[in-house]
Amino acid sequence: MVQLTPQHPYVTLRLKFKKVGSLQYISHLDLVRTMSKIITRAKLPLWYTEGFNPKPKMIFAAPLSIGTESVCEFMDLRLVDDISPEEAKARLNANMTDEMQVIDAYYTEDKLTELKWLSYSIDITTDNASVELAQSCERALLTDEVLVKKKAKPWEEAPTVNIRPLIKEISAELRGDVIHIDAVLSADASAFLNPEYVVKALRSACGILSNPDLTKEYYSIMRTAAYKADMSEFR
Amino acid sequence: MSHNPETKNISSVLKAVNKPGRYIGGEYNRVMKNKDEVKCRFAFCFPDTYEIGMSNLGVRILYDVLNRDKDIWCERVYAPWEDMKAKMEEYDIPLSAVESGDPLSAFDLVAFSLQYELCYTTALQMLKLAGFPLRSKDRGEDVPIIVGGGPCVFNSEPVADFFDLMNIGEGEEVLLEICHLYNEMKDNGTYTRAAFLRAASHIEGVYIPSLYDVSYNEDGTIKEYRPLYDDVPTKIKKRIVEDLDKAPYPDKLIMPYVETVHDRIVLEVYRGCIRGCRFCQAGMVYRPIREKSPETLCKNAKCLYENTGYDEISLISLSISDYSELRELTDGLLSWTDNAHVSLSLPSLRIDSFSEELMKKVSSVRTGGLTFAPEAGTQRLRDVINKNVCEEDLMRAVGIAFRGGKSSVKLYFMNGLPTETLEDIEGIADLAGKVVKEYYKMPKQDRPRGVSVTISVACFVPKPFTPFQWEKQDSFEELIKKQEHLKGCITDKKIRYTYHDAKVSFVEAVLARGDRRLSDAIELLVNEGAMFDAWDEYFDYDKWMSAFERTGVDTAFYTTRGFGLDEILPWDMIDCGVTKEFLLRERKKAYEGKTTPSCAEHCNGCGANKLGGKNRWCN
Repeated sequence: MVQLTPQHPYVTLRLKFKKVGSLQYISHLDLVRTMSKIITRAKLPLWYTEGFNPKPKMIFAAPLSIGTESVCEFMDLRLVDDISPEEAKARLNANMTDEMQVIDAYYTEDKLTELKWLSYSIDITTDNASVELAQSCERALLTDEVLVKKKAKPWEEAPTVNIRPLIKEISAELRGDVIHIDAVLSADASAFLNPEYVVKALRSACGILSNPDLTKEYYSIMRTAAYKADMSEFR
Repeated sequence: MSHNPETKNISSVLKAVNKPGRYIGGEYNRVMKNKDEVKCRFAFCFPDTYEIGMSNLGVRILYDVLNRDKDIWCERVYAPWEDMKAKMEEYDIPLSAVESGDPLSAFDLVAFSLQYELCYTTALQMLKLAGFPLRSKDRGEDVPIIVGGGPCVFNSEPVADFFDLMNIGEGEEVLLEICHLYNEMKDNGTYTRAAFLRAASHIEGVYIPSLYDVSYNEDGTIKEYRPLYDDVPTKIKKRIVEDLDKAPYPDKLIMPYVETVHDRIVLEVYRGCIRGCRFCQAGMVYRPIREKSPETLCKNAKCLYENTGYDEISLISLSISDYSELRELTDGLLSWTDNAHVSLSLPSLRIDSFSEELMKKVSSVRTGGLTFAPEAGTQRLRDVINKNVCEEDLMRAVGIAFRGGKSSVKLYFMNGLPTETLEDIEGIADLAGKVVKEYYKMPKQDRPRGVSVTISVACFVPKPFTPFQWEKQDSFEELIKKQEHLKGCITDKKIRYTYHDAKVSFVEAVLARGDRRLSDAIELLVNEGAMFDAWDEYFDYDKWMSAFERTGVDTAFYTTRGFGLDEILPWDMIDCGVTKEFLLRERKKAYEGKTTPSCAEHCNGCGANKLGGKNRWCN
């Protein structure tokens, strides 16, 4: 345990947590607001920023976009007192609902920026799911150029980018009537790939998810694991 | 909303709409029960968006009260925004409750909080989305009892045909009594809609519109309100909670994931108002005044802080500085809030109570913009409306604010008040000019910025149960003329002028003062898709006028005509505590330009004390 000094007035507690089910519809900004109330309710010995408007410090790794679930979210919290990680985890979980729970808590001095790759599983439910469709999805994502149009302001021309360099691994298979895709995508702050772009690439390359009836064809995305640059587990 | 596993997959629907977070529920502190273990399922509907409905204190209080009863499960329902509504209609997704995701047809009672008249179309759209017949008379035994409550039901006649039961006054006790009656009749097998409504009419504070027959005179005025049966009361007395210290108050709040309008702890400091401004409906219908003790409030605040983690506590009431123990309360709260990084905010400050002490104590006053409400531009008109503040009060208040470092002030006024002349309108510009001058009285080194004074002018709507309930509303043309005149009087660039749309106020007046003959027009609008009329972007004046015209409603009858003093008013079957004699007395004094002191100075005999209630002011 680090000794607290005026130079090191806090210790960093890292939380690995899940955000699943209906909470996939909660934006990152709303998650931050929600978390600040959770840590207050949990009565953790929070370190407050200095200055006119003191606030607890929370740092999140790789924000999730709306529509993606996750079982490996990371957040660093600064504390002024050493409370056991198990105790912190228990208190936090008592103040969250089932869809958001801390999986692991530990003190660390490592930086969140060491997180470089994230793996996702993408499940696409479609009427015409088949082994052939799964294969063509995989092929489409393994070609040298996977082009997608980026989001742009309405008055701008959306630029087309090749996302292939940001895809580390990808595989697709048929599971029942679902096309299941495993993907490891770049999480580097300067080259972050949103898994929605993988779905977008498949839409244009394989013509899936084109049914206008939104209840007939749909997909879900789950963030499942995090890695460092050398593909060792990030924690 | 629909996270019930039995309903169809709507994940892609949620991905296709704006702000899906408002439809998912699942919040911390929401109440979940086993539906098979409760006798009464109660859906509390707010006819506006989640963000607005979640902020309503009344809903928070009643949700807590109902769920304390083990036989009742109260859930919340909000109006879907236009994009979600379209998807619900396209995919046949019924309106459902946030907690269970069950459709409204699974409920026993479905209640609506009617906070403003323009929410009526939204409430009726929600009934349609639930698949219920709009009119009470068309509902079968399988349809839940549709309940209305909130400030609008002091004149609920324009929507009387759409509701089965109206809760007049505060709901804490009466809603429980209604549920208990329902459970009892279900248990002993005597329940039918008709039998239940008849029995419910005997509960004090319950109005069953279908049990009254209304007849009209040839000139269109009301001839008679006649109960259909002898056992149905001719006058419905408003219900109040007598002792707020003993009444339940939520010890936890549902924590929304998405940001809501009032995302903070709300402490209700007292109910009622000692002032008696003659245009103000809330100041009359929430009488008698009942204060909570600082001890109870401090206990409530601490408990809510621990169960929510909010960093802001807002003290609310109609006029917070009139609370007789404000210092004890703020001192009690400040004893721990600063250390816990919790700030206090006060939303309603009277000009004559603004002080340096308040500026130091209250962070919303310290950091936010300042708003005062002189309401009228001249002392003569302020006396007519019994505002009981003068120009010196305003200059003193803005002086304190400016010396405390503020450089912008917002002033609220009203156009179209009874007896108003162009001179009163010019007085508004004049007053704003004097506020600007007050700023420049400070030495130059104390004013680093330029001053900005905003005047925001609403249009007067004569409301039921006020001394001005008989008054005519200015015609649309007159209101526009006055707005233009004021615009012409303002030459200083430091004064910003904003005003309400007179068209909205005109429709509001029709709805606030209307009777049962408006229901055809409202139904027509709803069938043609009207919703969210309280939102500027959805309010369509021409559609309202067209609906009134096509259903034979003469809008002038309810607005520019004014009501006769001996006329039977649409809300005369309601007893809100304050007597008609008092309102007439106050009206007379208004025309004489005489003011009435506040209840703190002496009792003016308004009549609300007959309702009981623990308070320090009433005789």
